[in-house]
Amino acid sequence: MKPTQVRIRAYQVGFGDCFLLTVFYDDESARHVLVDFGSTGFPPGVKGNRLAAIARDIRDTTGGKLTAVVATHRHKDHISGFATNKSKTGAGDIIAALKPELVIQPWTEDPALAPKATGPKVAKGGANLQALHVQSLDAMQTVAERILAETKASRSLVRETRAELTAVAEVNVKNQSAVDNLRDMVPKSGREYLFFGEPTQLQDLLPGSKIEVLGPPTVDQHAAVAKEKDWDPDEYWLRFSEQTTPTGEDGALFPGHVVGRKQYRFPIDSRWLIYRAKRLRGEQMQAIVTNLDNALNNTSVILYLRIGKKAFLFPGDAQGENWEYALSKPNIRTMLKKVDVYKVGHHGSRNATPKTLWGLMTGSDNSKKAEFTTVMSTMEGKYGDTEETAVPRGTLVTALKKKSTLHTTQDIHAEDLYFDLTIDV
Amino acid sequence: MRNVLGTRHGLSAFRTLTIVAQDPSVRTADGKVLLAKVSIPAEQLLPGPAGYRVSVVDYDATRNALYTPLDLGPGLEEPSDAIAAVRSDRALMSDPRYHAQNVYAIVMRILARFELALGRRVPWGCAGHQLYISPHAFCEPNAFYSREDCSLFFGYFTSSQPSGETVYSCLAHDVVAHETTHALLDGLRRGFLDRSSLDQAAFHEGFSDIVALLSVLSLTEIVSTVLDGRPEDPLIRADLLTKEKLKESTLFGLANQMGEELSGVRGQALRRSVELPPGKRYADKKEFQEEHRRGELLVAAVLNSFLEIWLRRLEKIGTISAGKKDRGLVVEEGARAADHLLTIVIRAIDYCPPVDLSFSDFLSALLTIDREVVPDDRYGYREALLKSFRDYGVEPAPDADTDGTWKRWEREMIYSRTHFESMLRDEEEMFRFIWENRTNLDLSEHGHIEVRSVRPSMRIAPDGFILRETVAEYVHSVTASAEELRDDFGIAVPEGLPLWRNIKLAGGGTLIFDEYGQLKYKVAKGLVESEADKTRQGAKLKQLFELGFFDGPVGDLPLLAQLHSRIGQLRRLKS
Repeated sequence: MKPTQVRIRAYQVGFGDCFLLTVFYDDESARHVLVDFGSTGFPPGVKGNRLAAIARDIRDTTGGKLTAVVATHRHKDHISGFATNKSKTGAGDIIAALKPELVIQPWTEDPALAPKATGPKVAKGGANLQALHVQSLDAMQTVAERILAETKASRSLVRETRAELTAVAEVNVKNQSAVDNLRDMVPKSGREYLFFGEPTQLQDLLPGSKIEVLGPPTVDQHAAVAKEKDWDPDEYWLRFSEQTTPTGEDGALFPGHVVGRKQYRFPIDSRWLIYRAKRLRGEQMQAIVTNLDNALNNTSVILYLRIGKKAFLFPGDAQGENWEYALSKPNIRTMLKKVDVYKVGHHGSRNATPKTLWGLMTGSDNSKKAEFTTVMSTMEGKYGDTEETAVPRGTLVTALKKKSTLHTTQDIHAEDLYFDLTIDV
Repeated sequence: MRNVLGTRHGLSAFRTLTIVAQDPSVRTADGKVLLAKVSIPAEQLLPGPAGYRVSVVDYDATRNALYTPLDLGPGLEEPSDAIAAVRSDRALMSDPRYHAQNVYAIVMRILARFELALGRRVPWGCAGHQLYISPHAFCEPNAFYSREDCSLFFGYFTSSQPSGETVYSCLAHDVVAHETTHALLDGLRRGFLDRSSLDQAAFHEGFSDIVALLSVLSLTEIVSTVLDGRPEDPLIRADLLTKEKLKESTLFGLANQMGEELSGVRGQALRRSVELPPGKRYADKKEFQEEHRRGELLVAAVLNSFLEIWLRRLEKIGTISAGKKDRGLVVEEGARAADHLLTIVIRAIDYCPPVDLSFSDFLSALLTIDREVVPDDRYGYREALLKSFRDYGVEPAPDADTDGTWKRWEREMIYSRTHFESMLRDEEEMFRFIWENRTNLDLSEHGHIEVRSVRPSMRIAPDGFILRETVAEYVHSVTASAEELRDDFGIAVPEGLPLWRNIKLAGGGTLIFDEYGQLKYKVAKGLVESEADKTRQGAKLKQLFELGFFDGPVGDLPLLAQLHSRIGQLRRLKS
């Protein structure tokens, strides 16, 4: 049983990722792996329940059987499609009914490390650092909720800041239903919580493949993965996450001491500071959500799949700190010189395709490599307002076009459900 | 001159206000919040309080609410501390006006402390004369100084204790003093916020921690309480007064007293620095390549000197009854040692280079200023400082004299083209002096020189007379492509940095003139003049490159730099 072709079906999920990887074999059979399924916003023109429509298409395409599901990390734009509903008709219900044999998630999702688990059984890496990191990540998601609540309650943010804050905070808010579904759609033996260097059963489930897990490293392997919170270990997120949601000016700290306003105006001599404080608060909340956004991105599972003669790289939204560890290993660097298809990390943001990685995949010459294919799922205008921070980032897109054959969901119409990319292996 | 109405007396110079001695978790034996009285400069005050250097505006951005300002009265007559006089703890701690008083008094006290040490007015690092203070700026465990906003912002948050009380960072003495020090240090040395060496990045935090801790330790109320937990006993056992015991009681005691709640805001610098055993070369260790950890080395070195100096002062106090000493004297000596050390630490800034500061430079500056004030080292301060810093792997600067102090400037200089009087205050005149002495000062012909400040430094000389020196800061910078830096200046350019890219390099120096206007010290970090300068610039480039400093578009202020001037944001956001 030899693989002959791989098809990557990239669904139009707007801002998000959803790829159905199908391996065709010489005996006419096929196996299907779903890599991520989520969205935080669709392009204008998308009608009806897009996620459910995609789930139904996956059901029909796979003939009712998924081999495996990969949820690279728990951001909404990667897992919201796994959410279920009470009437069992949610997109996540449809996927669960396809009875995958394996669900792959990063080690940070291991329930054994969960914040409230009693007597934390430290399954991996052997140190409480791992549990602490997971606890911090959990606190960060609560912080995202706080920030979202403050953003909604605040009357002082400028429009752009509000939009950006809402977008990033929403991605980071916990999606419990999807998390539960991902855990429960397979029996225990089919749950994998992976870190760098671990073997995966996916290799056996996809005959003719060889699969390497390149990330995320554990905190023990590479302390930098926990570094977004290192100005004071965990304390900050934990304290912050314990805050009750402020309720705007009605819930003033000192109700008996609030200075009245004439119409909406504060007293003349306080206005300068108030203006600065409001602006600063917006920036500060942005800095906070960006930090926690990066931290969760860095929990992404990075999969390197060698199928037949071709190599596929699916890095989720991994950023520099996650990649650093793998890129420090000479054998991994050699391996990365051979990538035929690269799923562009983090929808084309600036931090997710490290220079070293890009250099390895594309070689040093300036020529276009006809056989190098890149696939990107993204939507403009959701993130970032400068060239630096925009997703996708202009300079990266230019480089992708220059050095590879780029396929992006931006190139298809909103009403199209997907595009297919077929590669002979 | 305006007198107090109806008398021939001048206006009172000081106002006494009550502050929270450390933070509300530090209690007296009967469970009350430990308060302390501090003396600060008296001034005309508007409601806020808003004075000539500080304006408290109690705006809460999370709740979009402005709270009632505190009105302390104009200060023309004997000022009173009405708010703290009759109120209960509970009433005080939940009154925003008392919080305003607390921040106002601590900020003014630190400012006055700097001015006392330097004998001149000290500017904030931001534009304008008045620093805004927001005691309840937002709901978040955080506090910081922002140069752009000309403000100190203090957050508040809900306690994780079952009581669920609100914790106010503006009520923590060390937190307020720490943030104030950032604003003052930024005023004294603007270049210290620039991206440079690891040491410089660590210095802002470490120095602010030192000032904050010495400020707390200079309150007798605190020292007496943490010493052995028996502040009411007039005597103290002499066997408790050894270095190890004092470290345990005072420093650990204080670390323990500092409410855990606030550790997300203040960090753990005290605890972690006290726990560092001396005698290791920490500066080379991997974990101390992170700037906040590195700052702890500075804190450890200074706090150990503090203990050493306190002990020396205690030797002079006899025992009263069997093995016991007078508590009042012991406490007073401790507070005095802290206060004295605080003076030296502040004065040393004048003797630091304006750019690329290293811990070694700071040590040499400390030793030099102490030698200036006490030439014979009769209290052994220099010995204590040198030993303490060495214990944490910090040696005096390589270009310093054998005793670790800066070398005196011996070269002939040209004074005839400048005027003594103008040189005391005029930046243009100072620039002329530098221009005429470019060769004498070993300044490269390339680049642009800017005099950043010319300031007087006044103090009492050992003979009791007033001594006036002049401190001038210049920055020397050049912008050239990476290729030119490599080929023309011989600076190592990191591999991967585009050679066409324009890069700005900076050096600079502090010139100290004696009371006759003659150059006494030049404390400088050259631009590209010596091999050491080239090595330093190469190392700096490498570090900046690795931090992604050159990733952004050309001409764009890198994000790092933008964030860095807002210190302590996100309590030490990666920067």
